[in-house]
Amino acid sequence: MKIETTRFGIIDVESDKIITFPQGILGFPHSKRFILFPHGDKSIFWWLQSLDDEDLAFVTISPSAICTENYSFKIPDDVQEMLKIKKPEQVEVLLLVTISDKPQKSVTVNLLGPIVINIETRLGAQLILDPVKYPVKYPITPAKNAPLKEAV
Amino acid sequence: MLVLRRRPGEKIRIGNDITIEILETKGRQVRIGIEAPDRVSVLREEVFLKIEQENRQAAQSPVDPTILEELPVME
Repeated sequence: MKIETTRFGIIDVESDKIITFPQGILGFPHSKRFILFPHGDKSIFWWLQSLDDEDLAFVTISPSAICTENYSFKIPDDVQEMLKIKKPEQVEVLLLVTISDKPQKSVTVNLLGPIVINIETRLGAQLILDPVKYPVKYPITPAKNAPLKEAV
Repeated sequence: MLVLRRRPGEKIRIGNDITIEILETKGRQVRIGIEAPDRVSVLREEVFLKIEQENRQAAQSPVDPTILEELPVME
């Protein structure tokens, strides 16, 4: 099926690749269907493009691609039920990336509200973790070979 | 919206397994005790708003693809 997007023009989407967020993503409750594709061949970033809103796309990254110590959490039972999660191998976690150039160029990831996806049922949700433990803006430095050792 | 008037020590029950107790009032602040099963998430509204706001910002990330390539990659 062909979908029109603001950033990528018309893209061809296979229906079995669609990821459904039954509750949407916070702030965008009406966008339920998304598609995930890599930013480039060697990139560690992935785009999460809405199929219900052509303007809406998030840059995402796997937590394993950034140095965050002890980033682990329990998926609440109601979310496990909603996503039909039966075993841990079904779960993929993604972090939303915020890029801003004001007041200065910065790239941060949201550790407080991770995206969890059941890659088998292709159902997804945004979790809300403990705000005392996880920042909403965790900086990843835009510099080559810079060690990332910010405390969470 | 249902509006109730309660005094400290009084409770409200929501469904079978959620209880909200007014513990104390002090000036403009109210302390509330909430008992709910684990499957029910109880959060301050600010946390939702914070994530909503961050999501909106993330969705507006100026897409300068070069910045994504400049970022370090974990070996």
